[in-house]
Amino acid sequence: MKADDPNIKWIEEPKLGLAGKMYLPLVAQGLTTTWKHLSKSLRGETVTVSYPDEEPKIGNPLIYRGVHRLNKDEAGRVKCVACFLCATACPAHCIDIIADESPWSDREKYPQSFTIDELRCIYCGMCEEACPVDAIELTSLYNLTGRSREEMIFDKEKLLSVYDATKEQEPMQSPALGGTAT
Amino acid sequence: MLEILIKSAVLIGGIMTAAAYFVLLERRMAAWVQDRIGPSRVGAPLSLLGLKDLRLWGLGQPAADGLKMIMKEEYTPSHVDRRLYVVAPIVILAAAIATYAVIPFGSLLPPMEIGGEKVGPIQLTVAPGVDVGIIYVFALSSIAVYGVILGGWASNNKYSFLGGLRSSAQLIAYELPLGLGILGVVLASGSLNLERIMAAQAAQGWYAILQPLGFVVFVVAAFAEAARLPFDLPECEQELIGGYHTEYAGMKLLLFLVAEFLHMITASFLIVILFLGGWHFPLITGEADATIISWPVALARLLVLHGKIFLVIVFFMWVRWSWPRFRFDQLMNLAWKIMLPLGIVNFVAVAVLEEIRHSYGPDESTWAWSLGIIAASWVVFAAAWLLTSVANPLVTDNRPRRDLAPLEVDSPL
Amino acid sequence: MSHWLLTETLHLSEALLLAEGLPGWREVLLCRSFWAILLGGLAVWLLLPNRIAYGKTLGGVLGIIGAGLFAADWPLLGNWTDQGVFWLLALITIGAAASTICSRSPVYSAIWFALSILGTAGLFFYNGAQFLGVATVVVYAGAIVVTFLFVIMLAQPAGHSDYDRITWGWFPKTFSVLTAAVFVGLLTMLLGNLKTAAEAPVEPAALAAAAERLEQPGGVLNSAHMANVGKHLFTEHLISVELAGTLLLAALVGAVAMAIQGKPRLATQIEEALR
Repeated sequence: MKADDPNIKWIEEPKLGLAGKMYLPLVAQGLTTTWKHLSKSLRGETVTVSYPDEEPKIGNPLIYRGVHRLNKDEAGRVKCVACFLCATACPAHCIDIIADESPWSDREKYPQSFTIDELRCIYCGMCEEACPVDAIELTSLYNLTGRSREEMIFDKEKLLSVYDATKEQEPMQSPALGGTAT
Repeated sequence: MLEILIKSAVLIGGIMTAAAYFVLLERRMAAWVQDRIGPSRVGAPLSLLGLKDLRLWGLGQPAADGLKMIMKEEYTPSHVDRRLYVVAPIVILAAAIATYAVIPFGSLLPPMEIGGEKVGPIQLTVAPGVDVGIIYVFALSSIAVYGVILGGWASNNKYSFLGGLRSSAQLIAYELPLGLGILGVVLASGSLNLERIMAAQAAQGWYAILQPLGFVVFVVAAFAEAARLPFDLPECEQELIGGYHTEYAGMKLLLFLVAEFLHMITASFLIVILFLGGWHFPLITGEADATIISWPVALARLLVLHGKIFLVIVFFMWVRWSWPRFRFDQLMNLAWKIMLPLGIVNFVAVAVLEEIRHSYGPDESTWAWSLGIIAASWVVFAAAWLLTSVANPLVTDNRPRRDLAPLEVDSPL
Repeated sequence: MSHWLLTETLHLSEALLLAEGLPGWREVLLCRSFWAILLGGLAVWLLLPNRIAYGKTLGGVLGIIGAGLFAADWPLLGNWTDQGVFWLLALITIGAAASTICSRSPVYSAIWFALSILGTAGLFFYNGAQFLGVATVVVYAGAIVVTFLFVIMLAQPAGHSDYDRITWGWFPKTFSVLTAAVFVGLLTMLLGNLKTAAEAPVEPAALAAAAERLEQPGGVLNSAHMANVGKHLFTEHLISVELAGTLLLAALVGAVAMAIQGKPRLATQIEEALR
C-alpha cells in the first residue's frame, strides 16, 4: 500500500491548546493522577493481595472455571450418563470415559471410568456447556497443584470427592444463578 | 586526617545504605502507583534459627537484592572488548562517589571533647572549603559520561551502542541548561562553594523562590542528567532492552545500577542545596553565619537538609510514573530550543536584578525590596514560559511526510 | 621537513644555551637526565606501532628505566606522601600521554588522552590550583574528548580502520621522536636548571619561602587569585575577550552555513522529485 492510496484515511492530530503548550498544567494533571492511585494504595485498597496469607476474592464462584467436579444426584449416585458429549466437545481431548451398562433403571449407561487430565485441560468450560444432565462442572478451586503428572490425572472417585468438598460453597448450577441446569 | 577518613566512611556507608533502601522505596512507590502492594515480605530470616520469620515490611529486601546480584554468575560475553568492558562500570561508580567529596551532608557540628581532646566545630563535608565545589561536581558528572559511552561501545552490541550514544548526546546537551541554572545561583550568592551558597540562601531567601525560572531549568536538566524517567532514553527497555548495560551481569551490572541511583541522589542533593535552602528552615535553624552552633540547632539543620532531600527523591520517584518518556527528537528540542534559551533568560534576569539591587537598593535588605525582586523574577518566569510555549510548542510532528511520498514511490508503508 | 624542524630547534636551543652558559660535552654526558631522555625517546620509538619483536615489552622496560633516571635527577619536594602523590600523578600523566600516541585503536587513544588530562588536573589540584584543575577536567575531559569519542565511535564503530593499520614508515617516526626528545631535553635542562640543581640540594626553608610567596596577594595559591584573573579579563582586557567571543560566534555561524550549503532545501528537493 502506498502513501497516496485512496483507502488510507489520514487523521489529523488534535491541536494542542494553550495549556498543552505550556506543559505545566499537564504536568500537574499527571501528578494528580498518580497521586490518587498512590493515596488509594496507601489506604490499603490495592488490587493485588498477598496471596498465601490472604485469599483472592473470586467475583462469582459459579462462573469461575477451576478444577472440575462430577456431580451426584439426590441418591448419591454419579449424575453422568456417559453420553460422551463432554469428551466430544473438549478441544484439548483431556476427558477419557469408559461407559458401561448402568446398574440403575433410570438410565442406560453410566461411566465405569471417568478421567480428566487436569494438565491437558485448558479450563475453557466447554464440557460444562455440553453436558445435558449437568453432571460435570467447573468449581472455583484455582490453586491446584501436584507433585507428578500421574497425580494430576483425576479419576472418577477423585472428581466425585471434589463435589463432596465443594457442594456446600457452590451448589449445583441452577438457571436462577445463571447456570445451565434445567 | 582521621576526621576526613571518618567523614568519608560515614558518607559512603550512609549513601550506599540509603541507595539500597531507596531502591526498596522506589519499588514500593511503583507498586502503590500501580495499585499493587510491592515487596513486603523479606525481613529477618529467623527460620534459619528455627523461629518464625519476621517480615519487617520488606526491610530485608535490599540485602536480598544485593546478595542476588553478587551471587550471580559474572558472565562476560566473548565478543566484548574486555578491558574497557571492565573499566566502564568502575569509572561510572568512582565518578558518582567522588562527587560527594564536596557536597555538604549537614552544616556544622558544635565543638566537643573526645577522649579529653577538644575537637573544634566540625564541618560536615568531606573536603570542606573547596572553593570550586560546584564546578567540581559538574566536572565529575561529565566524567560519568565515559562510563556510559565505554560500556556501550565495549559491549559490542547494537542496543548497548545506541544506548551509549543516546546517553552521551543527552548528557552533553543537558549540561548546558544545568550549567545555566547553576550560573544564576552563583551570581546571586557570589560563591562556588556549596556551603556558602546554603548560607547565602539562609540570608537572602531560597533561590527556588528568588529564581523560579532557574529552578525549573535546573530541575529538568537534573532529571535528564540523572537519566530519570521522562528522560530515561539511554536505557528505555521497550526500545533498547537495557541500553548501555544490556551485556552486563552480576556485580558489574550492580555497579552500573548503583551509580545510576547515586546520580539521582546527587541530583537531589544539588536541587536542595542550590535552590531549596539546604539546611535552612525559617526560625529553627539558627543564624546563617554563626561559626559555632548548639547541638539542637545542628541536629535541626541535619534533619531539615535530609528531610528535604528525602522529599525531592520521593518527587523523583513519583514523577517516574506520572509522565511518559520523551522521544529522542523531543528530548533534543527541549534541551536546545527551550531549556537553553530559558536558562539564558534566567541568567540575564538574575544579573539585571542583582545589579539593580546593588546600585539602587538600600544596604540593609528591606521587605519591600525583597518582595519587589521576587515579584519581578516571577513575572520574568511567567512571561518567558508563556512566550516559549506559544512560539515554540514542545510537540514535534513525526508522522510520515505526505508531501515527501512521491520521492519514494515504491516504499511499502 | 623534519630535518628543517630539527635544525630550527637546534638553532633555538643553541641561542637559549648561550644565554645560560653552554654546558660542556662532559657535563652533558654525565647528566642523568640526558640519558633518561635518550632512553625515553628510544622507548617511545619502540612503543609506536611497529613490527619489532618484543617491541612493546622492550619499550616499556626502557621507558621505566628512563623515568627512574630522570626522577633520580630531581630534588626532593617535601615529605614522602607529597612526593609519592606527585610521582604517581606524574607517572599517570606521562604514561597515559605515551599510550595515547602508541595505541592503535583510536578509541583507546582518546581514552588514554582523557586519563592524561585527568592526571594533569590532579597535578593542578595537588599544587593548589583548584580552579585550573576543575576547568581542565570540564573543558578537556568532559567536553572535547567526549566529543572525540562520540565522533570516533560513530565513524568507526568497529575500532580499527584501514588507515590505522598503515605504519608510518621509519623516517618520520624516528625524526619526530628525536625532535621531541631534543626539545624536551633542552627545555628541562634550561628551565629546570638541572645542571646546577644536581649539585646544590634545595633548602626546605627556601621551599617554604617560595610557597609563602605564592600565598601572597597576586600569588597562585591565594584564594582571591582566580577572582583577580577574572577582574583583569573583564576590565582591562574586556575588548579582547568580547572580540574573541565574537570571533567564535562568527566561526560557529560560518560552520553552520557551510554545513547547510551542501544540502538543498526540502522544498527544492520535493519540487525536483515532482518534476
